Amino acid sequence: MFYREAGQYKTTYAADMAIFPIRQDRYGLALILLIAFVAIPAFGNQFLINTMMIPFLILSLAAIGLNLLTGYTGLLSLGTGAFMGVGAYACYKLETFFPQVNILVWIVVSGFVSALVGVAFGLPSLRIKGFYLAVATLAAQFFLEWCFARVPWLVNYNDSGAIEVPSETLFGLSVTGPTATPVTRYLVVLTIVAAMAWIASNIVHGRIGRMWMAVRDMDIAAELIGIRLLRAKLLAFAVSSFYVGVAGAMMVFLWLGAAEAEAFNIDLSFQILFMIIIGGLGSIVGAFFGATIIHLLPIALRALPAMVGLSIDAARIDQLTFMITGILIIVFLIAEPHGLARLWQTAKQKLRVWPFPY
Amino acid sequence: MDLLRAIFIDPFAQMIGSPDLLAQTIWEGFVGGVLYALIALGFVLIFKASGVFNFAQGIMMVFAALTLVGLHEKGVPAWVALILTIAVMYALAVGIERLVLRPLVNQPDIILFMATFGITYFLIGLGELVFGGNPKSMITKELFLPGGSIDLHIPGGRVQLQKLDIAAAAVALIMVAGLALFFQKTRIGRALRAVADDHQAALSVGISLNQIWVIVWFTAGVVALATGIFWGARSDVSFALQVVALKALPVLILGGLTSVPGAIVGGLIIGIGEKLGEFYWGPLLGGGIESWLAYIIALAFLLFRPQGLFGEKIIERI
Amino acid sequence: MSGEILLSVDDVSLSFGGVRAIADVSFDIRKGEVRAIIGPNGAGKTSMLNVVNGFYHPQKGEITYRGRTRARMKPHEAAEQGIARTFQNVALFKGMTTLDNIMTGRSLRMKRNIFWQALRHGPALDEEIKHRRVCEEIIDFLQIEHIRKTPVGALPYGLQKRVELGRALAMEPELLLLDEPMAGMNLEEKEDMSRFIVEANRLRGATIALIEHDMGVVMDLSDRVVVLEYGRKIADGVPDMVKSDQKVIDAYLGAGR
Repeated sequence: MFYREAGQYKTTYAADMAIFPIRQDRYGLALILLIAFVAIPAFGNQFLINTMMIPFLILSLAAIGLNLLTGYTGLLSLGTGAFMGVGAYACYKLETFFPQVNILVWIVVSGFVSALVGVAFGLPSLRIKGFYLAVATLAAQFFLEWCFARVPWLVNYNDSGAIEVPSETLFGLSVTGPTATPVTRYLVVLTIVAAMAWIASNIVHGRIGRMWMAVRDMDIAAELIGIRLLRAKLLAFAVSSFYVGVAGAMMVFLWLGAAEAEAFNIDLSFQILFMIIIGGLGSIVGAFFGATIIHLLPIALRALPAMVGLSIDAARIDQLTFMITGILIIVFLIAEPHGLARLWQTAKQKLRVWPFPY
Repeated sequence: MDLLRAIFIDPFAQMIGSPDLLAQTIWEGFVGGVLYALIALGFVLIFKASGVFNFAQGIMMVFAALTLVGLHEKGVPAWVALILTIAVMYALAVGIERLVLRPLVNQPDIILFMATFGITYFLIGLGELVFGGNPKSMITKELFLPGGSIDLHIPGGRVQLQKLDIAAAAVALIMVAGLALFFQKTRIGRALRAVADDHQAALSVGISLNQIWVIVWFTAGVVALATGIFWGARSDVSFALQVVALKALPVLILGGLTSVPGAIVGGLIIGIGEKLGEFYWGPLLGGGIESWLAYIIALAFLLFRPQGLFGEKIIERI
Repeated sequence: MSGEILLSVDDVSLSFGGVRAIADVSFDIRKGEVRAIIGPNGAGKTSMLNVVNGFYHPQKGEITYRGRTRARMKPHEAAEQGIARTFQNVALFKGMTTLDNIMTGRSLRMKRNIFWQALRHGPALDEEIKHRRVCEEIIDFLQIEHIRKTPVGALPYGLQKRVELGRALAMEPELLLLDEPMAGMNLEEKEDMSRFIVEANRLRGATIALIEHDMGVVMDLSDRVVVLEYGRKIADGVPDMVKSDQKVIDAYLGAGR
């Protein structure tokens, strides 16, 4: 009823090319941002902010990163977890070497470190694709994980073998470490994620996004219209690893506070991959949908039985989470390979013409 | 200079100095390689017949072993448990064909590949839910598998061969021979090869794809069970084994996705290569390089021969 | 038809693992003409186009394009030098819309780097709008306005062929290689497509190399025709001459007759 675009005429190409060409969508986005930036910090409790929102945002950012590579460029990666690790360890090294520099700078710089590593492991993508490339990214996963565990320099030779986050301030406000309040960390994470999501959306709607999708849909034809495949693929690896690396740095510095090599294992890679399968391959908003489902599923499984007075032990919940995740993946691949993002589009389309079927 | 020496000279000096250690390491690698090859064999079977790159093959191995041990733990006699496990693997094949493959027919390969991630996670959850997540030990005695070891005297010392490992190699050999015969001589085997060659053409001469899929997935399940028994006997049975099982992937890349001899040779190269690497060069890097060496070997190989050892060269058409 | 020579192929041979696809073929394409390549199935026509735009690398022979001679082209180099191409089995980017497909054809002419792209304001947006305008002209020209925002995977075959031509035209090519642009079309669609080809040639100044099986179309459209059979050239000349060539008649009707 309210979702109608009648009367909204697009008179310039710029208006037609806007990312949200329909006015109601723009209002919706503004409302979401308002809730995220104002309502949640003002009224949210510790549980909502710390356990739900911060991890959700960080995982969404990683999912956006992987989606640029897998969803848009068609290069399947099973090494996301390790690249998050690269971001985290790089940020830790930089921060402990130069503690006087603003932590936000290091979070962004560690993204670039991760991008470099991503390019190095993306080099084989010129010669191999599909399953073969997926296996090649497993090489990155296991090799990097081994580095995190076995190279003591990376953890500054400390005995625990873990990286621990020192306290850092930004404009006099404590941002990282034990003294930082969840709300501050949340706002920092939210700002970074919102800005990077906006940038990602800009990139995929322009020349570079089209170039990636061309490589994904038909690489030979892309080459014959002048796209340099290696360059396009490496750029995808670089940008994707940048996003994933920033997410990894934030995961340790603004969420967990400390991490061991184990935190960046292949299960994390799969978790992120499942987010984009469920949320929608080749969709920025889908990354958020997928992160919601995958991150909230275990939380919901813990909370729901308790509500009806049942008690299930933690191991059971993990097992159930695995089973349900597996089923969800298969169901989504069968019913809607384009994930929740496509369902969302369809729903909007239906709403637009409601009450008529077309 | 010292580093170069430590990389290029010392390990070889060590090999020549104590040939018994070298032989022992190669034997260990050989047995590991045989088991990798068996997992890879399951992959190849399924890939040839249905074009699915079955990421879940490793998990199927653990799941089968876990079912066997878990049933025995619940008081079922060993041989009944074995038969029941085979029945479970058959049910799994039927289930996967009905619920995953059939609805996804004609989808791009990568979608089917991702669906097998779903199968992987489902099986991990199911296995642990039913049989518990704690590591179990394989019921080798009850299955009449030999224990103990024999010593082999070679110039320069002796090599210890576990009888269990010899049995594993023997079973692997019998299985590969059996499968080869099955493919070459039986009606189903011919149908299978036809399907592997061209789905549509096979359909047009009246071969039922669905039936063939159940058969290959079941066969792969039985291969997985055999592998799981031996691998479970060498360590514990738990889903931690999946990381080991994943090493069948570099084996596949080395051997080519469609070649049974490739799977075997690839398995042996990776198995022996990573044991030698770990034993002679691992200490230089702080150990544990087994976790990635196989992948790096495969990756280096891919850059020079993308189609694998026995794969055919692909000519792209447009 | 006395234009200068744009592309010449000299003594090119190509084989795949012992199977010979092209054997010692030479011909040239003059600037501004419509050059047809015909021949029975498996004569090596598509392989020839693949050699011209660098997708296949011939074992022997040379290609001279715009006065530069080389043993083989590289695909992106060919594109940068103004060679565009359509394919026998439509090779569109199926997940993208018609507009995006055509915009992709402009890739080489868009220069703004990733940092401008990331902002999508200022120069990047201006550039995007400028090229959008060009693409809209092509969309008008091909009469596909109504499917501008439809993913091409969902379009019928005839329209896909049109979009593919649009993508090639967006490159503003000097040489346009068309591989069976009218295969599987009905009469009306063929007439439309013929008109687009003629206009692309006359108004947009593209030199065209065309593979086509419909002899009526070939004879009407082309200035000169080269005939291949089993990878060899058996005739070359103006349509009327080729039509009456005994070897060509044999190739099409079977020599035994």
